[in-house]
Amino acid sequence: MDPLILSFALVNGLLIGGIYGGVALGLSLIFGVMRVVNFAHGSLLMLALYAAFWLQALAGIDPYASVVVTVPLLFAVGFLIQSVVIAPLIRRESALVVEPLSALLLTAGVYLVIDNLALMAFGPDVRSASTGLALAPLMLGPIPVNSQRLIAFSAAILAAILLSLWLRSTRLGRAIRATAQNRDAAALSGIDVPLIYAVTFGIGAALLGLFGSLLATFIPISPQVGLSFGIRSFIVVVLGGIGSIPGSIVGGLVIGVFEALASQFVPATSAAILSLGLFVLILLVRPSGLMGRA
Amino acid sequence: MTTAHPGRPRRPFVPLPDETPTLSLGAAAPRRPHGARAAGAAVLGAILLGGLAAAALPLVVQDAYFLHSCIVVLFFAYMATAWNFVCGYVGQLSIGHAMFAGVGGYATVLLFTGLGLSPWLGMPVGGLLAALLSVVVGYPTFRLRGPYFALTTIAFAEMIRIWVENTDSVLGIPLNGAAGLTVPLRGESLAALQFNGKAPYYWVIVALLVGALAATWWLERSKLGFYLKAIRGDRDAAESLGISPARYQLVALAISAFMTGIGGGFYAQFFRYVNAERLIGVDLSIDMALMSIIGGQGTVFGPLLGAVLLAPLAEITRGSLGGSLLGLHIVVYGIILMLAVLYLPKGLIAPLRAVLARAGLGGGRR
Repeated sequence: MDPLILSFALVNGLLIGGIYGGVALGLSLIFGVMRVVNFAHGSLLMLALYAAFWLQALAGIDPYASVVVTVPLLFAVGFLIQSVVIAPLIRRESALVVEPLSALLLTAGVYLVIDNLALMAFGPDVRSASTGLALAPLMLGPIPVNSQRLIAFSAAILAAILLSLWLRSTRLGRAIRATAQNRDAAALSGIDVPLIYAVTFGIGAALLGLFGSLLATFIPISPQVGLSFGIRSFIVVVLGGIGSIPGSIVGGLVIGVFEALASQFVPATSAAILSLGLFVLILLVRPSGLMGRA
Repeated sequence: MTTAHPGRPRRPFVPLPDETPTLSLGAAAPRRPHGARAAGAAVLGAILLGGLAAAALPLVVQDAYFLHSCIVVLFFAYMATAWNFVCGYVGQLSIGHAMFAGVGGYATVLLFTGLGLSPWLGMPVGGLLAALLSVVVGYPTFRLRGPYFALTTIAFAEMIRIWVENTDSVLGIPLNGAAGLTVPLRGESLAALQFNGKAPYYWVIVALLVGALAATWWLERSKLGFYLKAIRGDRDAAESLGISPARYQLVALAISAFMTGIGGGFYAQFFRYVNAERLIGVDLSIDMALMSIIGGQGTVFGPLLGAVLLAPLAEITRGSLGGSLLGLHIVVYGIILMLAVLYLPKGLIAPLRAVLARAGLGGGRR
């Protein structure tokens, strides 16, 4: 195998992997705080991609500029999903025994509704957005680096760092962490738990708003695009350790590099099978993931 | 206990598998009142009579489109009942059951085209292969709980789907990749399970559904069923009573996969076509789970009720709206699913049962 092609695959795998990690951040955060597996995670990314697409198609806003709309928009969507759909379940179930399967089923319902509403509204056509910025590929030695992917990659790393810092140092971030640890104790300390849950879900979704805008320029946009990103996010999060912010990025990098290198030796579809196999293996052998607490 | 030592009462309780569950049964499931046996027989009678009554339908209605829709609805009822056989009673959520349907469907077609084996034999053989796959998948997977189990079943099914979709032939067996396989036409042939009219297919699926309902009825009253319910209620407590969760869950899963595989074979014969996306894809798995959960999982008639209420929605939107509102019925499914999880977690059958119980008819409904 040509070392140049291999190193190109490696760089590309790192970039894509970082993006996977960034996309999975919200899933990990939501699970870590609420123990809710958000089956609609990919659907929210799909919504964000469409938002970026339509903002460009109808209002001529560049996908990169559309961040100012998609992030608050998705925050609102996430906030609403939590407070309208999931909150009644959490209210019904008594403390600490939120039936995780019921939550999964609820978000599966959200997934069915969002994906098929998008199918009805936008049709099955594949669309794409393009940026007006002149982005030449950067050269890393002899290896060309796609600058749109580099931007999304950098945003993923930055988002993970800022999210960790924010959770660690702000009052709201500490309230979120306290709620994750023990929601009853948090409530006793005067934390408005339902609000914290809604804000957490909103932040998880807002991260997808960011990546919707950043990915719209190079991801084909269709109503079905969500599920594959959703499943891959599950893989990333399980690999990295559920609820761990750095784990999400590390898991993404591992999966990205794994798939990129594997597809040099086997067809890309077999690489997808291998990463699903890796996911099963991790769940069976080390369910806490690479970075999770054992 | 054969190993009991009166002088050492603190010796760890190590049950023999064949003996102790009988002892624990009294604790796990209180003996039923005397009338229960009669009520149980009434449920079985309702299943058989309902099946007979349903079988008479093609004698009255000859409209091919209507019969076609009925077959599709009953097919989903059958698949949901098969799903419920393990998931409803064990309390685990499988979103990968379509892989068993895929194995059954592909095996039925391939045995027919490759070896000339009649689908009447191909379907049970496909079911057995599906059961075999279920043991391989279930053995490691059943250790996982809740969402982890659900996600792993998706992963297994997706691995198989992606593999089939991208494999044209394996060991000389043609899988034909994403294009799928067609069943070669033999005209009207009982041996090839091919008919010009819809009625014979209808009778086959009614018979399958009656079989699946009867199997669930048997499960409800069998030791296996009590073990499964005990595991669902509290797995650790069940295990401490000597019920091996792994073993009984696997048995139930294998039976469920067997039925699902036969369903896949029926699908192949009825549509004369199988492909990976439809038969192994996550959509079929979700449909099976959804109808079962909305109707009422862990009951004999819940999945049937769910399918009878939900499956026609798909047929109606496809038929009368001409595909102009692609996906509308799934939106409705999703909304009903959310409402059911929030407000009727035991399924739509729960309020019906309460009404019937008050009328003194027991838990059955057809």
